[in-house]
Amino acid sequence: MLTKLSGGTVYDPAHGIDGKVMDIYIRDGRIVERPQDTERIDQEYKLNGKIVMAGAIDMHTHIGGGKVNIARSMLPEDHRHDPAAHSGACRAGCGHAVPSTLTAGYRYAEMGYTAGFEPAVLPMNARQAHLEMGDTPMIDKGGYAMLGSDDLFLRMLAAKKDQNAINDYVAWTIAASQAIGIKVVNAGGINAFKFNQRFLDLDEKNSRYDITPREVLKTLSRAVYELGVPHPLHVHGNNLGVPGNVETTLNSMAGVEGYPMHLTHIQFHSYGVEGDRKFSSGASRIAEAINKNKNISADVGQILFGQTVTVSGDQMSQFRNAELGSPRKMVCMDIECDAGCGVVPFKYKDQNFVNALQWAIGLEIFLLVDDPWRIFLTTDHPNGAPFTSYPHLIKLLMDKSFRKDVFATLNADAQTMSTLASIDREYTLYEIAIMTRAGAAKLVGLHDRGHLGAGAAADITVYTDNADREKMFAKPDYVFKDGQLVVKDGSIVKVVWGATHTVRPEFDRGIEKEIKTYFDKYHTIKMEHMKVSNDELEDGGRSKIIVQECKGRREKTA
Amino acid sequence: MTALTLTLKKIPQQRIDCSPLTPDALAGKSAADIAAIPLQSGKNTLRVDALFDVSGDDVAEIVFMNGCDKLDYIGAAMHSGRIIIHGDAGCYLGFRKKGGEIVQHGNAGNFAASGMTGGLLHIHGNAGDFLAAAIPGDRKGMAGGLVIVTGNAGDRTGDQMRRGIVLIEGNAGDYCASRMIAGTIGVMGATGDYPGYGMKRGTLLLFKPPRLIATIQDCGMHTLPFLKLMYKSFRDLPSKFAHLDQTRVRRYAGDLANDGKGEILLFS
Repeated sequence: MLTKLSGGTVYDPAHGIDGKVMDIYIRDGRIVERPQDTERIDQEYKLNGKIVMAGAIDMHTHIGGGKVNIARSMLPEDHRHDPAAHSGACRAGCGHAVPSTLTAGYRYAEMGYTAGFEPAVLPMNARQAHLEMGDTPMIDKGGYAMLGSDDLFLRMLAAKKDQNAINDYVAWTIAASQAIGIKVVNAGGINAFKFNQRFLDLDEKNSRYDITPREVLKTLSRAVYELGVPHPLHVHGNNLGVPGNVETTLNSMAGVEGYPMHLTHIQFHSYGVEGDRKFSSGASRIAEAINKNKNISADVGQILFGQTVTVSGDQMSQFRNAELGSPRKMVCMDIECDAGCGVVPFKYKDQNFVNALQWAIGLEIFLLVDDPWRIFLTTDHPNGAPFTSYPHLIKLLMDKSFRKDVFATLNADAQTMSTLASIDREYTLYEIAIMTRAGAAKLVGLHDRGHLGAGAAADITVYTDNADREKMFAKPDYVFKDGQLVVKDGSIVKVVWGATHTVRPEFDRGIEKEIKTYFDKYHTIKMEHMKVSNDELEDGGRSKIIVQECKGRREKTA
Repeated sequence: MTALTLTLKKIPQQRIDCSPLTPDALAGKSAADIAAIPLQSGKNTLRVDALFDVSGDDVAEIVFMNGCDKLDYIGAAMHSGRIIIHGDAGCYLGFRKKGGEIVQHGNAGNFAASGMTGGLLHIHGNAGDFLAAAIPGDRKGMAGGLVIVTGNAGDRTGDQMRRGIVLIEGNAGDYCASRMIAGTIGVMGATGDYPGYGMKRGTLLLFKPPRLIATIQDCGMHTLPFLKLMYKSFRDLPSKFAHLDQTRVRRYAGDLANDGKGEILLFS
């Protein structure tokens, strides 16, 4: 079966193609070179005047795992107020901030997204996370396994174990939880919370293990690099949401000593203490540091106004924030010896000084970071806003007059604290394609996604050019997933199940002896039971596993 | 102008969501518009005229005839006007009602007056369980307005109720005023087991000795002059509660397991 997409205007930053009219050919789910003229085209889509990009990739979205389910069960009102009736190919569902798995998949595809990555897979909860993601249709999935606050890692660090042993443990965790990267949340802080510490700065010691977050970040970023895992260490920094945390974030960047690091939802970590209310924007300093340090990348975690729910492994921050919840409900819990979790519903208000400034800080970071290959478009779904607000966010980035109009309606005190009105940058379609496609695929380590070159999976989104970018990105004309037409005119026409992306770095199996002893002594289940098998992911053939290439283990680098 | 009258043709197979049929929602609509309004019925939608014979034209007063227990959400979110129901009503009668009046001659289902914040709900009949209570997941039940029930109410009346007055002339079921946050509930008949369970604040007026849990404590007999003010506010109500005048009551305080600022006043 040979499909031709003819005459579209193609944006493919991975190959430097910026709005060139060209044809794309798809055979058996893959993009192929132009076939010989004698070959018969089975199907042709005439895309003259349309905009063609690879399928979008959300590199940080909470769509699976225990905390999402806690949020769902805690917020029946979120579901009552947003029902989605069954129609055509789709089954019924519901939910605005934390949609049901099926609805989440449909809504992603209807916006032209073809992959999403769950950033907080607790190894102990990996099975639950994968089962939920496996039940999310349309898109490819993957997860980052959480380390850094688990007792075994901290014990190893406290015992001054060799970096190689730690690398083996990190690789074992990736393999056992079928992840594609490693994430650290409030490095060591979730553990410190269990020993009654309520704040933990970068150089503050965990009272039990005598370990500082700086050591955790350095050791883990080095481990991920030495294992050759393409996705750099995914870091949710310390002191989330605390005014003045811009210093912590800048020190964290320096603390990894040149190893690659991805700072996630950096908007929540870019707050200063200036002004009458001791809360100000640290965006320009953060952006300057990102521009300077090429080993650092970041996603923004933009907030947008309205009701949502914050779900996080950062129990320490969520415990602090619980009082601010709206409606007043919350869950904060320890999860075995791994980490913790906190769920607090939240309503961002445009007339609230702090919320309005958070909104401006996020946009300032977007606009002040020069290199779109190292800054990514996220709302940290659902923490800053549900992912369904991405088209609105894209419009804010691409349309300065719209952005300024919205800004002018916000809390007046917040306006005086932000330089946003003086920033004239507008993102181009090419830059949006980098952020949401090529750059994201490169960052996560997806070799066959996010671009439109021969050999890539045919995940393709086709839009009608519209000066109103929100309308344009909310409703693509066509979405192809692995070569199949799945969305037409913004509605699902065929339901597919996507695949799970993983990496499999090499490691010495000898490490299992120590891990097993630890599991036997402290955990509620056996080590062998914790491992997620391939069969569980493939779910009888409905899904499949794609093992992305690792760069190969490096020798000691320090 | 005569009241808009909706006469149920026959008992529907599935439950019907009647929330679009309120004076506010129908204001300015023609008879043809009203007849064509889709109503959710199970997984299908039905037109109003498929379910009801429609007559009359004054949408400020809506009359349901032949009411049955499958008609849910009557008067939901209404702000103004009047709804009269002859016959039974389903669940969520007056759900999140903000104002206006509902008068029912028949029995109401569960969760009547849930989330109601204003106006009157007068049930000449019985109410089901969870009268004036919060639906699962909500933190607050009824938060204002007045409910009068001439018959009996079911279990968990006023569960997590926040504000407003509920007056029951008959009996109430078990766990009356459970987890009540504030407001007033009066029960002239008997109450089931454990009224005031988990009560935080609020007042429960009882006329028969209740069976209480241990964390609600007897505080003895008192003469409470402020009751005269409450009676004065009841004076014009179309209810037996309008004739109260006794200020000497036995007072119980609780639930001590949950702040203990609630009270049960026993008239006897």
